[in-house]
Amino acid sequence: MQQYLYLIPALPLAGFLVLSLAGRYLSRNFIAGIGAGSICISALITILLSARFLQSPPETGAYTQVLWHWFSVEGLVSNISLRVDSLSLVFICIITFIGALIHIYSIAFMREDRDYARFFASMNLFVCAMLMLVMADNLVLLYLGWEGVGLCSYLLIGFWYETPGNYRAANKAFVITRIGDTAMIIGLFLLFKELGTLYIPDVLARATQHFSSGADGVTLIAILLLCGGMGKSAQLPLQTWLPDAMAGPSPVSALIHAATMVTAGVYLIARMHTIFELSPVAMQITAIVGAVTLFVAGCSAMVQTDIKRILAYSTISQIGYMFLALGVGAWSAGIFHFFTHAFFKALLFLAAGAVIETLHHEHNIFKMGGLRKTMPVIFWTFTIGAAALAALPLVTAGFFSKDQILWYAWSAGGGHPVLWALALAGAFITALYSTRLILVVFWGEMKTTPGHLPSRVMTVPLVILAFFSVAAGWIEWPHNILHVDLFSEEVQHVLPATVLKEGLPAEIVFQLIAVVVSLIGIYSGYSLYYGQSPLLQQWKQSPTVMSVRDFFFSGWRFDQLYDALIVRPFLFITRINKSDISDKLYTAIANVSMLLNRQFSVTQNGSLRWYVTGVLIGILFIITLQLLL
Amino acid sequence: MGMSLQQIVFGVLSIISIISALGVILSKNPVTSVLCLIVTFFTIAGHYIMLNAQFLAVVHIIVYAGAIMVLFLFVIMLMNLNAEIEPQKRSWLKYAGAISGGALLLVLLAALREASVSSLQPGAVEIGLISNLGKTLFSTYVLPFEVSSILFLSAMVGAVVIGKKEGHES
Amino acid sequence: MNELQLIPLLPFIILAMASVVTILLIAFRLSHTVIQVTGFLMMCLVVFATWYVRDTLPEEVPPLFIVDGQAALFTGVIIFCVLVIGLFSYIYFEEREENPKEYYILLFLATLGAAILTISQHFISLFIGLELLSVSLYALIAYLRNRNNAVEAGMKYLVLAALSSAFLLFGMALIYMEAGSMKFSGIAEKLPQVSSSPLFLMGLGTIVVAIGFKLALVPFHLWAADVYQGSPTPVTAFIATISKIGTFAVLLRFAQTIHLQQYPLIIAIFSVIAISSMIVGNILALRQQNLKRLLAYSSIAHFGYLLVAFLPGNEAGTEAAAFYLIAYSITLLSAFGVITLLSSREHEAETLDIYTGLIWRRPVVATILAISLFSLAGIPLTAGFLAKFFVLSAGVQQAVWLPLAVLILTSVIGLYYYLRVINTLFGTSGTADVMQKTVHPFFHVSTYITLVVLAGMLFWIGVFPGLVLQGIRLFLLLH
Repeated sequence: MQQYLYLIPALPLAGFLVLSLAGRYLSRNFIAGIGAGSICISALITILLSARFLQSPPETGAYTQVLWHWFSVEGLVSNISLRVDSLSLVFICIITFIGALIHIYSIAFMREDRDYARFFASMNLFVCAMLMLVMADNLVLLYLGWEGVGLCSYLLIGFWYETPGNYRAANKAFVITRIGDTAMIIGLFLLFKELGTLYIPDVLARATQHFSSGADGVTLIAILLLCGGMGKSAQLPLQTWLPDAMAGPSPVSALIHAATMVTAGVYLIARMHTIFELSPVAMQITAIVGAVTLFVAGCSAMVQTDIKRILAYSTISQIGYMFLALGVGAWSAGIFHFFTHAFFKALLFLAAGAVIETLHHEHNIFKMGGLRKTMPVIFWTFTIGAAALAALPLVTAGFFSKDQILWYAWSAGGGHPVLWALALAGAFITALYSTRLILVVFWGEMKTTPGHLPSRVMTVPLVILAFFSVAAGWIEWPHNILHVDLFSEEVQHVLPATVLKEGLPAEIVFQLIAVVVSLIGIYSGYSLYYGQSPLLQQWKQSPTVMSVRDFFFSGWRFDQLYDALIVRPFLFITRINKSDISDKLYTAIANVSMLLNRQFSVTQNGSLRWYVTGVLIGILFIITLQLLL
Repeated sequence: MGMSLQQIVFGVLSIISIISALGVILSKNPVTSVLCLIVTFFTIAGHYIMLNAQFLAVVHIIVYAGAIMVLFLFVIMLMNLNAEIEPQKRSWLKYAGAISGGALLLVLLAALREASVSSLQPGAVEIGLISNLGKTLFSTYVLPFEVSSILFLSAMVGAVVIGKKEGHES
Repeated sequence: MNELQLIPLLPFIILAMASVVTILLIAFRLSHTVIQVTGFLMMCLVVFATWYVRDTLPEEVPPLFIVDGQAALFTGVIIFCVLVIGLFSYIYFEEREENPKEYYILLFLATLGAAILTISQHFISLFIGLELLSVSLYALIAYLRNRNNAVEAGMKYLVLAALSSAFLLFGMALIYMEAGSMKFSGIAEKLPQVSSSPLFLMGLGTIVVAIGFKLALVPFHLWAADVYQGSPTPVTAFIATISKIGTFAVLLRFAQTIHLQQYPLIIAIFSVIAISSMIVGNILALRQQNLKRLLAYSSIAHFGYLLVAFLPGNEAGTEAAAFYLIAYSITLLSAFGVITLLSSREHEAETLDIYTGLIWRRPVVATILAISLFSLAGIPLTAGFLAKFFVLSAGVQQAVWLPLAVLILTSVIGLYYYLRVINTLFGTSGTADVMQKTVHPFFHVSTYITLVVLAGMLFWIGVFPGLVLQGIRLFLLLH
C-alpha cells in the first residue's frame, strides 16, 4: 500500500494540470468527471490505505515514501517525501473523503457557472496542497503546502472576481493570514538554527534533548508557530478575514473555510506537540486564545443575519474549541473535535449553499423562512448538522467531541475553571444560535419563493454527511458511559495521552452541566426567535440590547480597531515616505547599471582596430599584473 | 669583449628585420609595405639558419617570401590599391593603437628584464636536418601530422566556399 | 605508437571520416537531404564508437593525446550539440538559395577540432585543434556571404583569432623555453624549477589571451556580439556551445595537470577576468534589442560564472563546471533552435519586435524560448538554476567570496533582460506571421520535436539532476 502513497496528492494535481491547461476545450461533463473523479479516486485509495493501516500498523508507526531527491549539498538534503502516521491519516481521510463529497456536490452547484473548469482546477489544486501539508515529512514541504492552500484560498474567495468587494475579501484573507505565515516562517528558521533539521521526526526527537522545559528559545518558537496557526485558523486576533471569506462559492466555504484549511493551525500545533509541551507558557496562550476566540466569535454568530457569516463565526468559534483542547493538553480531544466538526460544518455550509441557491442568492436569514415543507431533505440534513453543532446529547457527533473538551478544559493538566466557564458559555451560545438558525430559516412564513430545488447530485452528499454528523461520534464515548475509545487510542500512537489533575469532582457532574447548558441554550433560542412572549420581544428591542447586538454584529469592532491601530498609522507613514527611501537603493542599482550600459555600449563600435586594441589592453593588463605581483 | 662572427651576423640580421618590420607598418604605399615584409621574412630565415634549422629556413623562404608574398603583390597591384584611395581611419584609434602597442612593448621589456635565459644546450645540432625532421614527423608525430592535413583540408574547403562564383542568382 | 592505441581514437577517426564522406557525397552530386541524413548517421556512429571503446578508457596515446573519462564526457556533449545543430542547419539552409552542402564538411571539421581539444595533453595538439576549429569557423561564419554582416563578421573573427593564436604560440614558446617540454605532464614535472620564473609566468599569461578570446571573456570579448549576429544562426549556436566547450575542456586539463590554481598570479588574472566578464556581459545586454547579440552578451556573462567554478580548482569545481556546460549547452541550443525555426528566407529572426506577442501566435515555440531564458536566468526548477547553484557551492567551499558576490549581484541584473524578452513574448501587438514552410515536413516536425525534447531536458535536469550528476562523476573518475 505504501508505494501508492504518492497517488493521493498526485491525482488532484493531475486533475489540476489537465483542467488548467486544457479546461477551455473540454465539455462540462468531462470537466466534472476529471475534477470530482480525481478526488474520488484519491478518497478511495485513502480508505483502502487507512484500512490497511488500522489492520496492520507499520512498525515505525508511519508509512513513508521518498518521491524525489532534488539535491544534497553540505548536509542540506532537499528531499520531497511523504510520511503518513495516524495523525496525518485522520486529516487525509477528512480531506479526501469530505473533499470528494463536496466536489460531487459542486458538479451540480456550479453547473451554470462560466468558469467551470477554473473552479475545479483551483479546488483540485487546493486538495493537492492541503494533502502535501499534512503528508509532508519535513517542515519545508509542510510550509509549501501551507502557502499552497493559502494561494488556493485566495483564488477561490475571489472566484467571482467580477462582483466588487470579492477581490477585497480575497486580499484581506491573504494579507491577514500572511501575518501569521511570516511569524511561522521565522519560527521555522529559528527551529532550524537551534536543531539543525526540519525533518519532522528528527525535530521532535531532538527538541527534547536540546531544550529544557520552559526554555526561552522553545517558548519563542512555539509562540511563533502558534501565530502561524492563528492566522490560518482564524483565531483571535487574526480572525477577521474568515467572515469576509464567505464571498467565495458555498462549496469553497465548506471545504476550505470549514472542514480543512482553517484547521491547518490545529494540525500544525498537534504535529509540533513536543515543542509545545516543552513550553507551558505557549500551551497556556494557546488555551486562552482558543477560549477567548470561541466566546467572542460565538457572540458574533448569535446576531448575524447572513446565513454564511453565521456559519463562519461558528467555525471560528469551533476551532477555538480545538485550540482550547490542544492548549490544555487534551491532544486527542482537539483532533477528535476537528474530525466531527469537519462533517457537520461541511454539511451546514453545503445545505446553506443549497438554500441560498434555491432562494435566488438570498443570504439574509430573515428573508428566508418556511422552507421546512418545500425543501424537506435540506431541512432534515441542515437540522442534523445544527443539532451536531449545538451538541445535542448522545445523538450527535458534536456532543461527543465537545463534551470531552468541556471536561478536559477543567480537568486536564493545563485546565482551569475560567477556561471551562468560557467554554461552557460558548456551548450555551452555540446552542442558541443553532436553534435560531433552524427556526428562522425553516419555520415561520415563506418570505421568498424558492426557485427550482436542488438535484440529487447535491442532496446525496448532504445525506452522507448527515449520517456521519450523527455516527462519527460513536467511535469515542465518554469513559464513564461506555468504554469505546477507538479514536484516541489510534491518535495516541502519535500524540501524548491526556494527563488529568487529581481530586476532581466526578466527570458525570460536568457532563450533566454541559447537557443542561446546551438544552437551556436551545430553549432560549426557541423562546427568543419563535416564542411569542411579549416581554422577551420588548427586551430584544431595548436600546442596551440593540447596542450590544450592533457591537456583536460588527464582530466586536475588530475591523475598526485594526483600521485605527494599524491601517491608518501605516497609511500615514507611507504618505510621509512617498518616495520610498529603501527603494532608492534599487533605483540606484538600476540607474548605475543603465549608465554603465551606455558606457560599455560605446566599446561595441564594430571597428576591428578597436577590437584589436581591446585584446592588447587585455594582455597589457595581464603582464602588468604579473609585474605587480 | 670582442664579438664573435655569429654575434655580429645576429646583430645585423636583427637590426634589418626590425627596421623592415617597422617599414611594413609605417609605409603609406602598400607595395613598399609588401616589399619590406619580404625583407623581414628573409632575415627571419637567416635567424633559422643560425639556429641550425636549415629546412625550416628553406621552407620559410619558399612558402612565405616566394608564394604568399608574390600573391600579395599581385593582389595589391591588380586591385590598384594605393595611399590615395585608402579610407581615412579615425585618428584616435591610431593613437589608441600606438599607445597600447607601445605600452605592451614596455611591459614586455620590464617583465623580461629580470628573466635569465638558460643557455641552449648544444648537441642537438642535427635536429634541423630534413631527414631527422622527416623521421620524427612520420613516427612520433604522425598523428598531429595527419591532423594538420585535416587542418589544410578545412582551409581549402573554406577558401573554395568563400571564393567560388555566385551560384544561381539571376 | 601502435594499432591498439588507435582504438580509443576511433570516435575521432570516424568524425574525421564524416567530412571526407561528405566531400564524396558532394562530388556525386547528392542532395542536401542525403548529406544531412548521412551526416546524422555518421554522428550517431561516433556516439556508438565512443560507447564501443568505453572499456579501453582511460588510454594515453603518446605523446599528444589522452582519451579518458573527462575527454569522453566533453566529446559526448560536443557530439550531442553537433547532432542538434546539424538538424537545425537543415531547415535553416534549405530555406536559403545558397548551396548548403559544403557547410557540413566545415561543420564536421570544426567539431573535430573541438573534439581534439578535449583529448589534448600537448601544446602541439592544442594548437592544431584550436586552429582546426578557428579555420573552419572563418568560413562557416562567412558562409552566407551575401548577407550584409557575414563577411564582416568572418573577417573580424579571422583577424582576432590570428592575433590570439600569435599570443598563444608566443606563450607556448616561452613555456617550452623554460620547461623544455610541450607536454602538460612534462611541464608539470619541471614545475619546481620553473614555477617562479618570470618567463614561465608570462607564458601562462599570454596563453590566457587565446583561451579568453575563444571563450569570449572580457576584455577579449569585443568580437562576440558582431560575430554572433553576423553568422548563420546554427553557426552562432556552434560558436556558443561546441567551440567553447572544447576550449574549456583543454583549459581544464591544462589546469589540472600543472595545478594552475596554485599560482596567485593566475588566480588574480582569472578572478579579474571572471568578475569583469560577469559585470560587462550582463550590463551590455541590458538594453539590447537584438536577440542574437543579447545571447552573445549573456554568454560572456555565463562564461564568467563558469570561471567561478574553475577558480577553486577542486573536484566540486570540475563537476560543477561540467554540469554547467551541459545545462548551458542545452539551454542555448533550444534558444538558437527557436531563432532558426522562426527565421525566414529574408530575415533572421533576431530583432525583438519579431517576438512581440509570439506566445499567442506560436505558443509552443514561445514557451520553449521562455523556458530556455528562464534557465539562462537561473530560475529554480530549470537546469540553469542548479548549474548556478553548484557553481556557487563549489566556490563557497574554497571561499572565493568576491567573485561569488559579483555572481549573485550580476545574476540579479541579468534577470532584468531575460525577463524583458519574456515580457516581449507576452506582448499584445504581434506582426503577422509570414512563414513559408518549404521544408520537408519531416525535418520541420523533427526540429520541433527536438526543441520540445531540449526544453523537457532543461526541466528534467533541473528537477532530477541526480542522473546527470552521477554520470558526470562516473566519467570524471576515469582518469
